[in-house]
Amino acid sequence: MNGFRRTRAGIELRLPRLESSLLTELLGQVDALLEAPPVDDPLEALVGLRDTAPPPPEDPAVARLLPDPYPDDPLASGDFRRRRTDEALARKRDAARRVLAAVPAPGAVLVLDEDAAQDWLTVLNDLRLVLGTRLGLTDDESTAELENLTPEDPRRPIAAVYAFLTELLDELTRALL
Amino acid sequence: MSVVTVRDAGPVPVKSRSGGVTIDVVSVTAVSPIDVEDVEDSPEDDRLWVTIVWNDPINLMSYVTYVFRKLFGYSERKATKLMLDVHHKGRATVASGTREEMEAAAERLHTYGLWATIAQD
Repeated sequence: MNGFRRTRAGIELRLPRLESSLLTELLGQVDALLEAPPVDDPLEALVGLRDTAPPPPEDPAVARLLPDPYPDDPLASGDFRRRRTDEALARKRDAARRVLAAVPAPGAVLVLDEDAAQDWLTVLNDLRLVLGTRLGLTDDESTAELENLTPEDPRRPIAAVYAFLTELLDELTRALL
Repeated sequence: MSVVTVRDAGPVPVKSRSGGVTIDVVSVTAVSPIDVEDVEDSPEDDRLWVTIVWNDPINLMSYVTYVFRKLFGYSERKATKLMLDVHHKGRATVASGTREEMEAAAERLHTYGLWATIAQD
């Protein structure tokens, strides 16, 4: 049976050919999407420290992955970005790389330990957040609309991938509960 | 969203009443004026910081409940209640503590893709 299943050995994942290559392709794009914003000052870049805050992410999908914890306080918000953005992006990129390296080939079984399960959980959800943002899911109405797209709607292919990721994440969550 | 709901949603240390013991104010229906005055009369601004999770149309209900249990060690009942608060009321306070603790909590929630902000209660 395909998907996530809890067994005596732990949580197992099997993927059919199409899903396996689809995940590999999506995960391969995460690095480019989550590049750290450039450090302008050469000295800061050299020592790997930021003295000034990077601007908020321009890409709405990246902004969704890095919520602003201080939406009403621009100073605190900038200071938080200066201190935390690079690390938060690196954490998400690293998790995506580990998951990419572990995607089971068709017919193979991946057994996840606790750390790997958390990687898969967060990375699958990040992919859903990115695709959901691209699909313009801003409220419950737009989410409901997604299920009734016409055959010629350009969002259909992405919506299908989004639905696949949703099913996978829901399975994993239930296996962990 | 009212202060009542904010208090309703998470563990709030009630220092003036219980000597620092954290209690879960699940059934509080109103915040009395005395509580507010206690806070405002304190010599320095030692009001608690809180972490707030906001509703979004992408995160799954099962997933959000799991994350609350995993990150904060909440019971299934409490995690489900918080998730439903987020879903129906648009937001819920999921933790309270120092500013540093709440920043760390918000970052952990961001790692899991939840939309979390922090504020002084």
